[in-house]
Amino acid sequence: MKHQLTVAVKNQSVAVERFLRVARHRGFRLMQLQLEGQDELFHVKMTVDSDKPIYLLTSQLNKLVDVHSVDLHTLQQQAI
Amino acid sequence: MSKTMTGAQMVIDILVKQGVTDVFGYPGGAIMPIYDALYGAPLKHYLTRHEQGAGFAAVGYARSTGKLGVCFATSGPGATNLVTSLADAMMDSVPLLAITGQVPTAAIGSDAFQEVDVLGMSLSCTKHSFMVERVEDLAEVLQQAMHLATSGRPGPVLVDIPKDIQQGQVPYTPWLADAQECDSTSMQELKAANTLLKNAKRPIAYVGGGVQSADAQDELMAFLARTQMPAVSTLKALGSVLPEYEYELGMLGMHGTKAANLAVQECDLLVCIGARFDDRVTGNLAKFAAKAQVLHLDIDAAEVGKRKPAAASLIADLKMSLPQLEGSLTTEEWREHVSQMKRDYAWRYDYPGEKVFAPYLLNKLSRDMPKQTVVCCDVGQHQMWVAQHMKFDHPSNHLSSGGAGTMGFGLPAAIGAQIARPQDTVITVSGDGSIMMNIQELATIRRNNLPVKIVILDNQRLGMVRQWQELFFAGRYSETNLSDNPDFVQLAAVFGIPGQTITHASEVDEAIDNLVSSEGPYILHACIDDKENVWPLVPPGAANDEMITENTQ
Ligand SMILES: Cc1ncc(C[n+]2csc(CCOP(=O)(O)OP(=O)(O)O)c2C)c(N)n1
Ligand SMILES: [Mg+2]
Repeated sequence: MKHQLTVAVKNQSVAVERFLRVARHRGFRLMQLQLEGQDELFHVKMTVDSDKPIYLLTSQLNKLVDVHSVDLHTLQQQAI
Repeated sequence: MSKTMTGAQMVIDILVKQGVTDVFGYPGGAIMPIYDALYGAPLKHYLTRHEQGAGFAAVGYARSTGKLGVCFATSGPGATNLVTSLADAMMDSVPLLAITGQVPTAAIGSDAFQEVDVLGMSLSCTKHSFMVERVEDLAEVLQQAMHLATSGRPGPVLVDIPKDIQQGQVPYTPWLADAQECDSTSMQELKAANTLLKNAKRPIAYVGGGVQSADAQDELMAFLARTQMPAVSTLKALGSVLPEYEYELGMLGMHGTKAANLAVQECDLLVCIGARFDDRVTGNLAKFAAKAQVLHLDIDAAEVGKRKPAAASLIADLKMSLPQLEGSLTTEEWREHVSQMKRDYAWRYDYPGEKVFAPYLLNKLSRDMPKQTVVCCDVGQHQMWVAQHMKFDHPSNHLSSGGAGTMGFGLPAAIGAQIARPQDTVITVSGDGSIMMNIQELATIRRNNLPVKIVILDNQRLGMVRQWQELFFAGRYSETNLSDNPDFVQLAAVFGIPGQTITHASEVDEAIDNLVSSEGPYILHACIDDKENVWPLVPPGAANDEMITENTQ
């Protein structure tokens, strides 16, 4: 199932590397990625695909020190 | 005041002010300024003979005390040698600070001598990691690193410091005390949790390493005393449930006790206390505690529902959550049933052969060693025998590489534990395979006159792998024969460590006596049967009640 997330991370490349690594390692394929720098934070919009429930990814991302927030949009909501 | 200091001096200063008294490490080009600042500093540095040894010594130091372990390594190969110990600390949630030197900032990315992208390498084996980019950031980064390593779910944190930053000048600023983080307890589910407890007919406490991390043994024992609930332990939790607790069933999982595994399969409520449903614990997950609802207590929200859904969860420090559980008294019928299993499947040590029987030896050692002894082990059959046949009354007295299962853990971990707890006896139980993985650390024992006791259970095999080859690979013994082992007693003698070899059951008691009563270090080399297996064993893919047993249980 596909999910769209917006992740706010510290604006450092390593912060992005770190959370992309987590997404890959926890079994979520990256479908789309868009990164925008604002002040202290990068806002990363991404679409991932996996058979696994999405909370398995969001709970791991929320643990990362550099991740400020994780917002989940289901793709259906996006379509509205 | 316009006093200044170098970045390197600041590293040492901050460690000292944070109460760090001992560090383990190995110098090299890119970390030389820090080693220079260490010279004459009120911080004791222990030189190991390999960076992995330094990492594991720091892990042993941390695990035997609950304090932060600290290790240093240089850039490139120094840092790569540390990686295994970082991964081990990650899997077992050990508070560890690793400081690595890095090539100067200007050289980064140029494939400079001894340059490795350590920050990149650290991503998969640390809780968090930093590369310091400006000397002005150093103090804050170090403070944050120490805080992260020890708070919440503990873990390894790496700080990579380029050489120019170690040499840069910073104004001296008095050290800020660590701000105490408030526990963001979410106790909304407390009611649901207590309802589950109230309605349970056959509850079990499934106890994990979190109890040690939270320093919550007292709270755990109080909860068990209130509920009289049977308790099973993970490898890492052993010692958390006091051995005298009537319904203590020992370790569960692949080599768990029959009583523990059967009871878990029958329970209707599994109270998971700081554990994570590791595959070595659950066996076939779909069939694990299949009749049970799960009540999950952990500080790490990502553990809840990761492997098995929870009916309720308390995401909080166990020290806070455990006292709030209103468990009522477990039914007598269930307690009696579990007790009966505990009696029926108790270990037996009346081994008929003339050879040394490892479970007997370890059980004897367990009974004869002083209270508060720290037992470390390596990985393999001997590790499982330690877990099965030795008793501990605190998890900081049993140091075993759990999540990572790293051979070579035992000897350096024992060194760290002995340095952390000089008054206590420290014994490492190793295999003939594992001991060779960090054998160079005998030099560290010698250099520091550490009274570490070493037991080698020598089956002339990579025994655990051999056991699997026997059971699951049609007896094709590929590369597991170690019958050309060195003479271990002679090897230890070169490092000034006395010892003895035993080959017969009749020699065991006296040998244990020699080991335990020796003032300094000692090596007991026990030759055991190469065909001995660890029982019971839950075969891969099987449910935990489908264990294979022999007559040992
Ligand atoms: C670093 C590392 N390499 C390989 C393994 C795989 N492994 C697990 S147990 C084992 C055999 C260990 O042999 P020994 O130390 O003699 O212990 P025994 O099982 O014979 O008691 C091996 C090779 C491991 N756990 N760690
Ligand atoms: Mg062996």
